[in-house]
Amino acid sequence: MTSFMPLTTVFPGLVWTMAALALVQASRRASLWRVGAAAPVAWLHGLARLPRRYLVDVHHVVARDPHASRMHAVVAGGLLAASLLTALAILPPLAGSRAYWLLVTLAFAVTAAGSLLVGARRYPVKQKRLSAGRFQILPVLLLAYAVGGTLTALLLALGAGGIALPFALLAAAGGLGLAFEVRQGPMRHAVAGALHLAAHPRPGRFEGRPDTALQPLDLDAPRLGAAMPADFTWNRLLSYDACVSCGRCETACPAFAAGQPLNPKRLIQDLVAGLNPAEPPYAGTSYPGGRAAEGPRGPLARLIGPDARIHPDTLWSCTTCRACVEECPMMIEHVDAVVSLRRYQTLERGALPEKAIGPVTELRQAGDPGGRPLAARTDFAAGLDLPLMADRGQAQAEVDVLLWLGEGAYDLRYGRTLRALVRLLRRANVDFAVLGAEERDTGDLARRLGDEATFQALARENIATLARYRFARIVTGDPHALHALRNEYPAFGGHYTVVHHTALLLELIRAGQLSPQRLPDLSVTYHDPCYLARYNGETEAPRAVLDAIGLSRVEMARSGKRAMCCGGGGGAPVSDVPGERRIPDLRMAQATETGAGIVAVACPSCTAMLEGVTDRKADVRDVAELLLQAVEAGR
Amino acid sequence: MKIAVLLSAGRHPVSSTAVLPRLEAQAIRIATRLGAAFGVPDEAAAPFGLHAGPDAAAVADALGQGLGRLEHIALSEGADPVPALAARLAATAPDLILAGRRGQGGGESGIVPYALAAALDRPLIADVVAVAPGDEAGTLRLDQSLGRGALRRVVVRGPVLATVHPDAPAPLAYAFGRARRGTIVSLGPTADPGAGPVIPVEERPYRRRPKVVKGAPAGGSAAERLKAATGESGAASRGRLLVDPDPEEAAREILAYLRRIGVVAPPASHPHP
Ligand code: SF4
Ligand code: SF4
Repeated sequence: MTSFMPLTTVFPGLVWTMAALALVQASRRASLWRVGAAAPVAWLHGLARLPRRYLVDVHHVVARDPHASRMHAVVAGGLLAASLLTALAILPPLAGSRAYWLLVTLAFAVTAAGSLLVGARRYPVKQKRLSAGRFQILPVLLLAYAVGGTLTALLLALGAGGIALPFALLAAAGGLGLAFEVRQGPMRHAVAGALHLAAHPRPGRFEGRPDTALQPLDLDAPRLGAAMPADFTWNRLLSYDACVSCGRCETACPAFAAGQPLNPKRLIQDLVAGLNPAEPPYAGTSYPGGRAAEGPRGPLARLIGPDARIHPDTLWSCTTCRACVEECPMMIEHVDAVVSLRRYQTLERGALPEKAIGPVTELRQAGDPGGRPLAARTDFAAGLDLPLMADRGQAQAEVDVLLWLGEGAYDLRYGRTLRALVRLLRRANVDFAVLGAEERDTGDLARRLGDEATFQALARENIATLARYRFARIVTGDPHALHALRNEYPAFGGHYTVVHHTALLLELIRAGQLSPQRLPDLSVTYHDPCYLARYNGETEAPRAVLDAIGLSRVEMARSGKRAMCCGGGGGAPVSDVPGERRIPDLRMAQATETGAGIVAVACPSCTAMLEGVTDRKADVRDVAELLLQAVEAGR
Repeated sequence: MKIAVLLSAGRHPVSSTAVLPRLEAQAIRIATRLGAAFGVPDEAAAPFGLHAGPDAAAVADALGQGLGRLEHIALSEGADPVPALAARLAATAPDLILAGRRGQGGGESGIVPYALAAALDRPLIADVVAVAPGDEAGTLRLDQSLGRGALRRVVVRGPVLATVHPDAPAPLAYAFGRARRGTIVSLGPTADPGAGPVIPVEERPYRRRPKVVKGAPAGGSAAERLKAATGESGAASRGRLLVDPDPEEAAREILAYLRRIGVVAPPASHPHP
C-alpha cells in the first residue's frame, strides 16, 4: 500500500477508518434505543451543556476515586488528542511537518501511559468491583493502539517513515479493535455516555437542583410502568448502555451489602442484556444468592419474574436510597428504573410482595398504612396542647408553621421525638398548628412500591385539605413526607415551602428564640437520612444544631450525601426480602465504630430501624430530643 | 367449574370509606386459585362477581383484586337483594358460590347467604378457609375453620354455597390496571323485589373491647393474669423443655406431642401387610 500511498496519508486514514467503524457500530447500537418510548429531549441545550456536564458534574463523582480519575483523564485525554491530531494530519501541510508528528508522538505517549494505568487496575488481579469479560482486553487494545501510534509518529517525526509499517499495523489492530468495541464492548460507554449526558432524563441534576422527584405516571396510559425493555423511554435505554460496569453502585448499595438479592450494577446490565440478545455474558459480581436464571431477551421480553432475567425479590429489595445514583459516574438513574418496573408489577399485575399488600391496601382504604384512625395521629401529644388548624378558622391570620406529623406519630418511640419538637416550638413561641384528623399519609410508601394510583389519590386529597388553610410553611420531622410535599406534590398542583425540623430548629437557635446550654459530655455521630441528604441535599442544618449544643461530634466513614441507608425506605421494611444480614445492623455497626455513645437521627424511619438493632452499643436520639435536653439543662 | 363470588357494598371498619369487604376479597382469592386449579378455558368461564344494589361502583374494586367480570343487578336503595340474586344464580347455576361470613357495612345482616342457600336449595358450608378440587371428579374439598386454627375438612359433591372465614389467605393486592380492564355487566332487575326485612339496628362508633379470657383468675397479680392470658398455665405450661436434644429424641418428642393433641394418627398397632 505504501508503494502508492505515503504513510503520512495511510496513518491519518486509519484514524478516519476507526471513526467510520465507530460510527457504524454506534448506529447499529442506536437502532436498539429506537425501540424505546418517545421522550422529550432538549437536544440543543443538552449538547451545548455537554462539556460542562462532563467536566463539572461527572468529574465531581469520578474524582472521589483519585486513582480512577487520574487514570481516566490521562487515557481518555490522550486517546482523544492523539486521534484528533492524527486525523488532522490528512491535511498535507501538517502531514509534511516533522514537528507536528512530534506533537502526535507526545499525545500517543500519554495515551500509552494511561493504558498502563488502565491495565494496572486489572492485571495481575482485577479490582473486585470491576467486571471482567470484554473489559479485560481493553488495556491490551489501548496499549496496542498507543504504542503502535507512538512509534509510527516518532518514526515519521524522524523522517524514517519507511520502516514504520509494522507499528502502523499494530496501531491499526488496536485502534480498529477499540472502534469495534463501541457496539457492545467497553468503548460503548464513551458514545452512549456522551449522548446520555446530552439527553439526560433529569437535566435538573446539572443545574444545581436535586432533581429527585419521581416522575408522575399518566394513569390513562395504555400500559402502566415497564414490563419489557421497549416500555422504557429511548433515552433511558441509552442511559443503561452508558454503564461502564465500574461497580461503584454495587459498593454503595445497602441491599447488596446485606446479602439481599440486589446488585444495582447487575440490574443495569440485565436491562442492557434484556434489550440486546447478542450482549456478551455478564462478567461481574452477580446478585447475592447466586441466581442463574437467564430468561428471554429482546425488546419485547418480560424482564421480571422467577424465571426471567430479574427476580421479583431483586426489585423489592431496593430501599430507593439513591446511593447508587449518587456514586454512578455515568449519571444513571437506577431508582427510576426500579420504580418503573415496580409500577408495572403493582398496577398491572397486583404482584406486590405478600407482606406489603396489607399496608398498601390500608393506605388506599384508610389513608394510613396501619389502618389506624386518623384522629389517633395526635394521641402521642396527650397532655400537650396541640393547636388544630381547623380550630383557627379561616378568617384568622395565617399560621406561620403547619406541623406535618407523618406516620411516625403513631409510633410510641417516635412520639417521644414529636413531643420534644412540640415542646421546643412552644418554648420558642412559634405560631404553629397541626391538621389532626385531616392529615392523611403523603402516600410515599405506595409511590415507592409502584402504586402510583394510591399515591396520586392521597396527594390530591391532601392538597385539597391544605388548600383550605393559610400557612406560611410546612415543617415536618419526616424526610419522606418532606420529599413528597416539597418535590412531588407540585406536579399535582400543591406548591409549598417545606422545611425540615432540623432546619427550623437551627433557625430558632440563630434567631435567639431557643438558647440551649452546652452538653459537652455527650459524643454523637449523625446518621444522614437518605431522603434529606441525597434527595434534598440537606446535610448541614442538623450538624449545625448538634454543634450549637456543643456535643463532641464524630463522622462515620460514610456520611452526608454518601451516607449509607438505614434500610427503612422504599417500602423495604414492609417487603422484607430476606438477606444474610440486616441493613440497620450494618449501619449501627458503622456508627459504633466511631465510638460515639449516641447516634443522632432526623427521621422516623431511621429511628425505628436503628432502634430495632439488637445489642445496640449506642443510644438513638433525634436531633430534636438532644436539643430539648440542652435547652432544659438551662433551667 | 363455574364460580360466583357475592359482593356487597362494604365500609372500612376504621375509616368508613366505601370498600370491598375484606372477607369478600379473600373469597376472590379462593375463587381465583380454585379457578386456576381447574384451568380456565375462556374469560366467560372465569370466576365472576355478583352484586345486587343501587350502584355497581361500590364493588368495582373487586375487578382490581382478581375478578375479570362483575354482574350487577340494579336495585333501588333498601330493596331486598335475595330474590334478584337467587333468580340470577338459578339462571347461571355456578358450581360454587362464595360469600363473606358476615357483612361489613351499612345495614347488612349477614343473612343473605343463608337465605340464598334456602332459596336455591343448596347446602351451605360455613367458614371455609380453603377450597380445592376433590379427588373424585365433580367433588370439592373444603377446609372449614372451627376457630383457633382447628380445621375440619369436608368433601362435597354438587353445587354448594360457602361462606369465607377471616383465617382464609389474605386478599390479593388491588391492581389499578386490572380494575381498568375489568368489565361490569349490568343486568336489569329479574324479579320484582320486595322491600328487605327491616332489622332494627342501632349504630354506635366502633370501640375496641377488651378480650375476655376464659378461666382468668378474677383477682391475682398482673403476672398471674398475663400467664392466664398467654396460656402459660394451660397447654403451654404442660410441655417438656428439652435443652439441646439430639435430633432423634427431638423428633420422637414432637411426634408424641402431635399424637397427644390428635394431629397425627396413633401408631398402627400391627403393621399392614
Ligand atoms: S451503573 Fe454506574 S456505578 Fe454502576 S457499574 Fe454502571 S457505571 Fe458504574
Ligand atoms: S437505591 Fe439504594 S438499595 Fe436501591 S439499588 Fe440503589 S443503592 Fe441499592
